[in-house]
Amino acid sequence: MLRSLSVKYSPLLTRIRPGGRALSSQPTSSLGCLPTTDSPVVSKLGFFNSVTGDGSKIPSYRVLDGFGIPIEGAEVPEISEQFARRLYENMQLLPTLDNILYNVQRQGKISFYMTSYGEEAAVIGSAAALADDDEVLAQYREVGVLLWRGFSLDRVMAQCFGTHEDSGKGRQMPVHFGSTQHHFHQISSPLATQIPQAAGVGYALKRDPERRSKNVACVFFGEGAASEGDFHAGMLLASTLPSPTLFLARNNGFAISTPSSQQYYGDSLSARGPGYGIDTVRVDGNDVLAVMSAVKEGRRRCLEGGRAVLVEMMTYRVGHHSTSDDSFAYRGRQEVEDRKKIDNPITRFRLFMESRGWWDKTEEEELKSRLKQDVLASFKRAETLKKPDLAELFSDVYAEEPWNIREQRKELAGLLEKYGQVWEPWQNDLKIFKDEGKKLAD
Amino acid sequence: MLARRLRSKFPALSCRWQTTASTTAVEPPPAGGHSSSVASSQLFRITRESALRTPGISWQDEESDRNIIGGRETRKMNLYQAVRDALSIALSKDDTAVIFGEDIAFGGVFRCTMGLAEEFGRERVFNTPLTEQGIAGFGIGLASMGHTAIAEIQFADYIYPAFDQLVNEAAKFRYRSGGHFSIGGLTVRTPTMAVGHGGLYHSQSPEGFFMGASGLKVVIPRSPIQCKGLLLSAIRDPNPVIFMEPKILYRSAVEQVPIDDFSLPLSRAEILIPGSDLTLLTWGTPVYHCESALRLLNSPPPSLAPLIPPSLRNAKVELIDLRTILPWDVETVVESVRRTKRLVIVHEAGMTGGVGGEIAAEVGKRAFLRLEAPVRRITGWDVPAGLQFEKFNMPDAVRILDGIMETLSY
Repeated sequence: MLRSLSVKYSPLLTRIRPGGRALSSQPTSSLGCLPTTDSPVVSKLGFFNSVTGDGSKIPSYRVLDGFGIPIEGAEVPEISEQFARRLYENMQLLPTLDNILYNVQRQGKISFYMTSYGEEAAVIGSAAALADDDEVLAQYREVGVLLWRGFSLDRVMAQCFGTHEDSGKGRQMPVHFGSTQHHFHQISSPLATQIPQAAGVGYALKRDPERRSKNVACVFFGEGAASEGDFHAGMLLASTLPSPTLFLARNNGFAISTPSSQQYYGDSLSARGPGYGIDTVRVDGNDVLAVMSAVKEGRRRCLEGGRAVLVEMMTYRVGHHSTSDDSFAYRGRQEVEDRKKIDNPITRFRLFMESRGWWDKTEEEELKSRLKQDVLASFKRAETLKKPDLAELFSDVYAEEPWNIREQRKELAGLLEKYGQVWEPWQNDLKIFKDEGKKLAD
Repeated sequence: MLARRLRSKFPALSCRWQTTASTTAVEPPPAGGHSSSVASSQLFRITRESALRTPGISWQDEESDRNIIGGRETRKMNLYQAVRDALSIALSKDDTAVIFGEDIAFGGVFRCTMGLAEEFGRERVFNTPLTEQGIAGFGIGLASMGHTAIAEIQFADYIYPAFDQLVNEAAKFRYRSGGHFSIGGLTVRTPTMAVGHGGLYHSQSPEGFFMGASGLKVVIPRSPIQCKGLLLSAIRDPNPVIFMEPKILYRSAVEQVPIDDFSLPLSRAEILIPGSDLTLLTWGTPVYHCESALRLLNSPPPSLAPLIPPSLRNAKVELIDLRTILPWDVETVVESVRRTKRLVIVHEAGMTGGVGGEIAAEVGKRAFLRLEAPVRRITGWDVPAGLQFEKFNMPDAVRILDGIMETLSY
């Protein structure tokens, strides 16, 4: 069914036409095909190297221009004012959160943080196109998806501060979120590992009679992570088995200091999709309406075909890679300032909303002030909370506690009893835990 | 020829000797490998009565309180048939269970999945593309949704591309999410150990590499009954398990296997032969070389007799099959060593970084003052598994015998 679709023209579809430049002189082959394939036989030796068939770049789908005005021929999605406000509010909440937590890290109150500056449209737009119970497997710059789904600021703070309220029990670095309630799989640091896992999640959805044809597995990753073998593995599995897995690539131009020009030679990630035989689209990742439409359609195709679909969102990482990075070591400040001015995802959508009469300066100020207050309140509260019981150092390795872990836990308990009251560094370190180390001996 | 020679050496075998070896024409080596220790072993439970009395069997059907003598059936199975039987039961009882890997659908390169795609359909028993990291990742994803994912890595030698997924993801899945996400439904099966002609890349024993991946379990069966019971336990265990099947045993290990649903306990070693003078600890294929070594020790053939001091020939060696490598049964092993005061550990994997070192350290800590000899490890050498040299690389009955004697007379 998908093959027949590919013959019709669709602005949202990119497909391989076998035979780029050199082969196009032989329209249909009178020489037949290779045995057991549809590959036509040709007599002229020709190499091909183009997904579009003529050497041009794969096009990018867009709805709004840099000033929030629909471009010529734009397919503007029908959204209500309420929905637009929800989009905009989340697109503002994200950098508000980022501003505060970035500074909180600089003050030494949390150990690490990653901002999403510049990618608000890509993340919120795609979240808005998914069903709330689509299973999301993310990389690390997608907290916007959680915010869209109603993950509370308190839970954000709990994870970043590693308090006893963190569902992850303080075990991972900040921004490694997870929430069963929000169908958001736990983030892990190794890049791209979530990609083949998503193919498995998709397969489980397909096998589950309650969720088949209702939900997809949606996996986010950056253009750098897509160089890992796990990307190739995940694409293979989801396209071949197949499984309803939506691949959302955030191409933000950098993998820490490595620009995308040093990450791959082909036409970015979109060129790879047709290599796996899957529907692919490239979209202006800073146009929230375009992202939403593209992901919505991608999701629809994914459910209908039960197979991988790839959406590449072209965006720009305005911020540093993380609080451990100073990106001005490898790029000019002017480049960043220019992007913030000429291609700002939040500005573009705000201008669109204003043009509809849905937004104005007063509301802008009110929103920013309210969001800041909310985030600050949540942060101040999290600052006061204790870390989890120290006993949680040892739990959840297995479903049960094997002898080696039990003995090690008791060994540490014994050491704490012996030295914990007299050795000042330990005395101080123990105070931060809810149980102050006492539950280790249980 | 071989059969006749063996029959004359071990007359007790002649009435029940089963062989796939031809008695006339020269045949290629059996794909499943051949070992004389396995062929002559008395450790297999080849009668229905002995099979049903397998220690630790826990019946998993509705009639679990049924008296084992009254009416349970067994069937002659080799190891790959026992694997297949376990998989069939797992899929019958658990609608979420699926089996996948390279070449699974037609039956698998070792026939472990024969007929399962026909029986359960291609949605549940299917081939994956050739990508171990993909197979492992896919299995993790399935299991994270509460499904039962039974993955196969075609040879343990090829498990390394999946190492990141297994160690960084699978092992830490529960811990890193504070217990909210888990993948107990993941089982990764893989053929392991030497097979006689495997060379560097079809002979490896990588269990040692996973010892540091706390959160994983590693299980290695020695026989068809053990394989079925341990595999069903592994599949149902709420932790991800790597199940390594000694490939040389696929065809050559044969038992009467109970056809019902049963499990055997994980993390419990089994004392196969009780003893008092030395503890001999091993797992997988070397179980049978150890058994042969004990036979050589207790009743040496004329050629070896001069080299085996008569004082040692009455030594009662306690043979233990570890079965689960991680977490391993320290209680059974240490209790045994505290009695016998001497420990010899045998494994095919190389000496350095092998599981034997970990066990030796722990036993040394707990039984230090009881030991009357250092813990001895008899292992593959610290070399890759060179094809022509395998017989002198993997520990055999004579090397094990020699190590036992050395430790007995320390």
